[in-house]
Amino acid sequence: MNTTRKKRQVALIGNPNTGKTSLFNALTGLKQRVGNYSGVTVEKKVGQWQLSEGEEVELIDLPGTYSLSAKSIDERIAVDLFTGHLAETSKPDAVIVVVDVENLKRNLFLASQLSELQVPMVIALNCWDVAERKGLQVDCKLLEQRLGVPVIPTVANRRRGRDELAAAVSHTLDKKTLMIRPAWPEPVDKAIDFLKEELVEKRNENLERAELQRLIFDQKSAVQERLKMPETESSSLIKTAREQLRTDGYNPDAAESLLRFRFLSPLLTDIIERQEALNTRSRTESIDGLLLHKFWGLVVFVGMMYIVFQSVYSWAGPFMDLIESGTGWFQDLASAQLEQMPMLQSLVVDGIVGGVGAFLVFLPQVLILFLFISLLEESGYMARAAFLMDKLFQWCGLNGKSFVPLLSSYACAIPGIMATRAINDPKARMITILVAPLMSCSARLPVYLLLIGAFIEPAYGPGVAGATLFAMHFIGAFLAAPLAWILNKTLDQGVRPEPFLMELPPYRAPRIKTTFWRIYESGKDFVVRAGTVIFAMTIVIWALLYFPRPNELAEQITTEFPAASEEEVAQHIDAAYLEQSYMGRFGKLVQPVFAPAGYDWKITVGVLASFPAREVIISTLGITYALGGEVDEESHDLREAFTRAKWESGPRKGEPVFNLAVAFSLMVFFALCMQCGATVAVIAKELNWKWAIASFVSLTAIAWVAAVLTYQIAIQFV
Amino acid sequence: MQLSKIKKDGSFRVTEVNPENGSIARLMALGLLPGKEIRLTHEAPLGDPIAIEFGGCHMSLRLDDAAHVKVEPIS
Repeated sequence: MNTTRKKRQVALIGNPNTGKTSLFNALTGLKQRVGNYSGVTVEKKVGQWQLSEGEEVELIDLPGTYSLSAKSIDERIAVDLFTGHLAETSKPDAVIVVVDVENLKRNLFLASQLSELQVPMVIALNCWDVAERKGLQVDCKLLEQRLGVPVIPTVANRRRGRDELAAAVSHTLDKKTLMIRPAWPEPVDKAIDFLKEELVEKRNENLERAELQRLIFDQKSAVQERLKMPETESSSLIKTAREQLRTDGYNPDAAESLLRFRFLSPLLTDIIERQEALNTRSRTESIDGLLLHKFWGLVVFVGMMYIVFQSVYSWAGPFMDLIESGTGWFQDLASAQLEQMPMLQSLVVDGIVGGVGAFLVFLPQVLILFLFISLLEESGYMARAAFLMDKLFQWCGLNGKSFVPLLSSYACAIPGIMATRAINDPKARMITILVAPLMSCSARLPVYLLLIGAFIEPAYGPGVAGATLFAMHFIGAFLAAPLAWILNKTLDQGVRPEPFLMELPPYRAPRIKTTFWRIYESGKDFVVRAGTVIFAMTIVIWALLYFPRPNELAEQITTEFPAASEEEVAQHIDAAYLEQSYMGRFGKLVQPVFAPAGYDWKITVGVLASFPAREVIISTLGITYALGGEVDEESHDLREAFTRAKWESGPRKGEPVFNLAVAFSLMVFFALCMQCGATVAVIAKELNWKWAIASFVSLTAIAWVAAVLTYQIAIQFV
Repeated sequence: MQLSKIKKDGSFRVTEVNPENGSIARLMALGLLPGKEIRLTHEAPLGDPIAIEFGGCHMSLRLDDAAHVKVEPIS
């Protein structure tokens, strides 16, 4: 074999819910990589597939789509790919159309659209086993004869038909088998010829006949966006052609469906044999009778969502504790080994090991949420959940599919944001991602508990304390709703709105292998792409908190507290070092910015140091108040230190720093601010860095405004 | 009669579809064309969206979009 020859490329396309991705995984195994198509956030999956001894091809998994009408970005990618207009990707040498046996005709609609693009084709009749069990028989040989391309029965997750599919693809690559195309009525050809003359011959646009067809049949086709000529000019030409078709008796919007189905119907006569009634469908319908019921459906839904939420919120706890104690163990170990080199010791302990621990600790939540999401999607329930909840989200441009990601964000925004991939509408997905960090995640809880425990419970009792804690959990969601509405109204109008149309697929038992795969992929994705960023940020913050560190300061503190114990002296030294570290200096510098919210420089440093991870504020405050970094939200000493803290300078010198107004303002700030490097990294990965930084800046600004307002209003009553 | 106005589950025949609507254009690619039999199977708890079935295809459809499909009862 000539090894320098470029590998041939085969694309895999099919309707949603046809088991296409399972087939892709079965064919390529672990030899796949995931990227993005340049310029868009559509996932590009490419795998290596060993066709035979001598040949390996590149298999491209395209997003699931019902048609090539190029309305959505997914469809446009498909059209551009097959016409060779996709940057950095050449035109595939063949295509496998994955077809669900049970919905043969509607699945072949897509195949028929592809036939216009003149790409050699193989049809994979997937879910063959399910169809057989239902007594459905398809005459593959006859279908093959009529369509003109190989038709291979496959069962994605059992690898059945894999060899036959490989042989068929080899055959198609050599023989270039094309699927039979409909003969279009004269008016359609006339409209296409008109466009060909105007666009291709007169204006030198690079368009194939299939693309001209898309311009005729689709309203506002994405193909048009690629033209070199001014949009107004092309629009008027396309309009002329479409109007001509209408005068000739064919509604241009309806013509394709009408004519293509008319063409497909006779091709399918005598192909399918039903031996008995389709039982599974009726089983699905009776399950739906319960799960989509106006009352019981909601009861089941609340129960399911409770389990999902609990799993991420509490079940992940023991695993997170395990990772934390593992991190602690490594830190102790490294600390003991490096005692002679304090700088290196601190770098390894707080920077490196702490940094790895900082992102690993999220892994249990990510994995557990994706276990449930995979089960919900595979079983077919996810679409039902979205169906039940859709109305609640419609008014702000979101849809029912936003529910699960937002709910999970209450446990942790990271898996929540990753879960938005299930939302097909790019705009709704973007808005969901941008408001997800406002949901009060579990890392905010210690901050609430500390402040409520120190200032509210002693003064107003446990009842008010509980109510405050409850209210804190809603403040973000309360703000998220109008924010989503504003985003929906203002966001880039260039993003095509996707109609909210969702299939309610038949219920299926989840496949263990697919579930495992999803969990593995999400975990790998998180560690590789977000983990590295979180790690880097932890190191940077460590350095800002550590340097500079002159020895004289330690000596000075030691002489200042002659009577104190060794531990107390060490705590005072740490506090002094923090105060004059770059972060400490920066905190003092920007303290005036936070003064309207009632913060002194110590709180400001705590707030700044907790930008990579909000829970850090407690240990940072512990250090600044010379109590050591080991304090937690239950710490009596820390609460005491709060009540004793006095302004060191400025107009309020000598007055207590903390009061009810400051406590509220601080809690509000933490409830709204995106103090989580991991979330920023995940948003950057799911959208891009521009959006990650924009959302970080705007949420910080919103949090600041809200904290200032809270303080200024509350201080009137304190 | 508009599909969105129907309050009771049951079978209907499609008389008119408006392809100008994005969702309906999609449904047409799935075979929802005049003459097709369509079933209204469920309504979400808040009354919107609705679940429909045609030719073995079960879909969720918002009322705004369902208004673009006209149907007649099958007698």
